[in-house]
Amino acid sequence: MRLADALADARSARRRLVVPYLLVDRRRLGRLRGTVEALRDAGATALELGFPFSDPIADGPVLAGAADQALAHGTDWRDLLAAARIASRSLPTAVMTYANPVLRHTLPAGLAALARSGVSGLIVPDLSLEESGPWRSASHRADLALVLLAAPGATPVRIAAIARASRGFLYLVSYYGTTGSAASTGTPDLAPLVRAAREAAPALPVLLGFGIRDRGSAERALRTGVDGVVIGTALEEAIQRDPRPAAVGRWLASVVGPRAG
Amino acid sequence: MPRRYGPFGGSFVPETLVPALHELDRAWREARRDPEFRRELRRLSETLGGRPTPLYFARNLTRRARGAEIWLKREDLVHGGAHKFNNALGQGLLARRMGKPRLIAETGAGQHGVATAMIGATLGLDTEVYMGSVDMERQKPNVERMRLLGAKVIPVTTGARTLKDAINAALRDWIANVRTTHYLLGSAVGPYPFPAIVADFQSVIGREIRTQSVRAFGRLPDLVVACVGGGSNAIGTFRPLLRTKVELLGVEAGGPRGSKGAGSLTSGSPGVLHGSFSYVLQDQDGQVSDTESISAGLDYAGVGPEHAWLKESGRARYIAVHDTDALRAFHWLARDEGILPALEPSHALFAAVAEARKRPSTQHVVVTLSGRGDKDLGVVLGAAR
Repeated sequence: MRLADALADARSARRRLVVPYLLVDRRRLGRLRGTVEALRDAGATALELGFPFSDPIADGPVLAGAADQALAHGTDWRDLLAAARIASRSLPTAVMTYANPVLRHTLPAGLAALARSGVSGLIVPDLSLEESGPWRSASHRADLALVLLAAPGATPVRIAAIARASRGFLYLVSYYGTTGSAASTGTPDLAPLVRAAREAAPALPVLLGFGIRDRGSAERALRTGVDGVVIGTALEEAIQRDPRPAAVGRWLASVVGPRAG
Repeated sequence: MPRRYGPFGGSFVPETLVPALHELDRAWREARRDPEFRRELRRLSETLGGRPTPLYFARNLTRRARGAEIWLKREDLVHGGAHKFNNALGQGLLARRMGKPRLIAETGAGQHGVATAMIGATLGLDTEVYMGSVDMERQKPNVERMRLLGAKVIPVTTGARTLKDAINAALRDWIANVRTTHYLLGSAVGPYPFPAIVADFQSVIGREIRTQSVRAFGRLPDLVVACVGGGSNAIGTFRPLLRTKVELLGVEAGGPRGSKGAGSLTSGSPGVLHGSFSYVLQDQDGQVSDTESISAGLDYAGVGPEHAWLKESGRARYIAVHDTDALRAFHWLARDEGILPALEPSHALFAAVAEARKRPSTQHVVVTLSGRGDKDLGVVLGAAR
């Protein structure tokens, strides 16, 4: 199933949307299939596959460190395509990476290669709305949903413009900071942003990301009125603690699954 | 002011930074039209910074080259010992205008960090400077200077622990603290409007060259030469001369012979690094390469987007000079003229001497001597051993 359809269907069925993030690492390809199946069984709606970049300015120490390690062990674009073919058999798959690796493979050829490998969405954390024009048309041609990010500090007008331009879902960043860092100045009030996005694009699911690390933070996130959550850093930490698929699945279920007993 | 230079430039940044970039763009445009701001900038440039800097005829170096006359634009005499003051002052005044109480900066050679620390002290703004731990080691005197000036120096221990990693760390800090902090970017790189703002504040170099060369030898130079890391002193030198017939030569760091060096324009390809589309040293997947250069200030895999366009459009030429040749030029200037240049402009000096050699004595070559060499004594003495 494709990313946009899977999220829209789950939303209509009033299920919470759960999108875990897995960094592509050549050393982990062997376990990938089992991990993705375990995430699916634990309640994941779709998957974000992260392709490591040498200068990930939106990432905090955990994901930046994991990306460094993955690159140091030779992870390359072919590993991303291989990972996408494996993952997309079990979950609708979006690729998250920075602008430069995609541009290096050129927009048309790079996006076509991703689509052929089963990818149905693309998330680029350093792609601003201002730069997104060529990316939106290239993604449309490649049949990929280009997911745009919105962040606190934006005006309602800007949020609305981003929501109208985004496909698949709107990725709402929950605080001022990089991935996995605790919000230093408290969580900003996200409700007005969610409302502005809803008014501009009523059919578009809104997911909250950055800072979701346990059941408490996941539930607080959902109370802001979003449809679901993206979980990255905390999942990476769980994998570093215990990389076995069953353990990874149990960890995700402990955050977003039905409460035990 | 363009967002783009030909196809280059733009703002590839996380959405969290976009409102701050808009705010900065507005503040800068208003400030440029504000006579009060311009008066303050000019007053501090002169009375604190020591501008205008002289244009000096390097008679002995000219004799060594046996060709065109070599003139030095003495940015090494600016307060703090480098051209970095020009931009730090301008952006510091902008930060105050925007009501931001905190400055952050990246630094490679430490010159921009020192300039930011000075301006932070002058304007009463908290200042924190990110610096790669490798650079802290090789530019120790500047680390001490920043601390004495009241700035906090934060060591960066990720990646190759040089300038690129310091910029990553500063950008991450800015994402978290954007409401209270101005990122005082030191080179003509980064997302729009930074390349335009930095070039604007550094253009004082080229404007002075224009008037001083006419006064000194009756016309514009035939060639100007400047070193290019991110490219701020070079764009400041070039920009006021773009619509003239003056030849423009940018000199990148070639690193040790046989190494890949740090020449983004001479050995790189188009790509996005630190928020703008420009030339980047990168591999086939777009992963940014580690660089190698004796000069911390040029040791950077990217370059300002306006330089990328000047290269593609053919208006400026770019070459790379190896470590050993930069060191030779360092010693030439020390012995011939009694001036210790920084290692960064030593690259430009070597190229200027080579160019002067090929030209008749009726021509004039101006080199921007972007900084003084006191900070580099450790590296230079180490290389001599």
